[in-house]
Amino acid sequence: MRADRTLRALGVAALVGMVATTWLGLFVTPNAVGFADGTVRLLYIHPPLAWVMFIAYGMATLSSLLYLWPRTRHRRFDRLAGASAEVGVIFTGLTLVTGSIWGRTTWGVWWAWDPLLTTTALLFVLYLGYLAIRNVPGDPETVARRSAIAGLVAFLDVPIVFFAVSWWRSLHQGPTIDLATRHSYVHGSMAWTLLLGFVSFTLTYVWLMAHRYRLAALKDREDDQGLEAALAERWAEAVR
Amino acid sequence: MSGYIEAGYVIALGSLGSYALSLLRRERAARRGLPHPPRRAGTVPGSPAARDEPAEQP
Repeated sequence: MRADRTLRALGVAALVGMVATTWLGLFVTPNAVGFADGTVRLLYIHPPLAWVMFIAYGMATLSSLLYLWPRTRHRRFDRLAGASAEVGVIFTGLTLVTGSIWGRTTWGVWWAWDPLLTTTALLFVLYLGYLAIRNVPGDPETVARRSAIAGLVAFLDVPIVFFAVSWWRSLHQGPTIDLATRHSYVHGSMAWTLLLGFVSFTLTYVWLMAHRYRLAALKDREDDQGLEAALAERWAEAVR
Repeated sequence: MSGYIEAGYVIALGSLGSYALSLLRRERAARRGLPHPPRRAGTVPGSPAARDEPAEQP
């Protein structure tokens, strides 16, 4: 009950944050010099979407490791990995779409074989494959172990995507906030709106992941009960 | 603005909203599909016995 209330409050906070980010991003913040036709306004959703993508895959990998580690092996970590990866795939898809729109307005093309774009597209495909592996039928423990290993393999591309803007000078602009030097290229209302975007999208991720986890737990319970019912039926047939 | 930016916002927020609603709908359907926990024999829902409360003495 308390968890329900907390989750509902989190959902409301995420929704309010999203509405505020949209309003500030589209109508309040100024247009930046050097950006055509207000395209800079995508700044408030595109980097936060990419940020959540990294958090989601990080969480999926951590959960996969915890599942593979014999001392911490528990079904809940498998569920957590699956839930986080699924939400991560949604955010990766949206990162690619918003990035493509930004590319069309800035570079004049929807897509370019730029290192960052290419490795992000590869990441999307890798995690789609991971979700497909999760759906391959089999013994739950085997499926979970197989998925955890696939999750670790897919994660190998994450650091490449994360550092791509620093490693390669390409079409894509450099980071808006340089974590190494702690230098931000945006200030004032733009910086606050961007920060709000990061917070709102992170809250949205937590809310979505929690609900996806609960759905997976319910599905597991349903499967267990179905198995128990089938066993009881077979037992009754054998006794008859 | 050219319309591309607004389209980006609509696609991103619309997709997240649709996914959120689908999760809620699926969760509700999954809860409905599960059998309720077994009730103690001889109890009526809402009665003191069902709520594990001591019955009133006559």
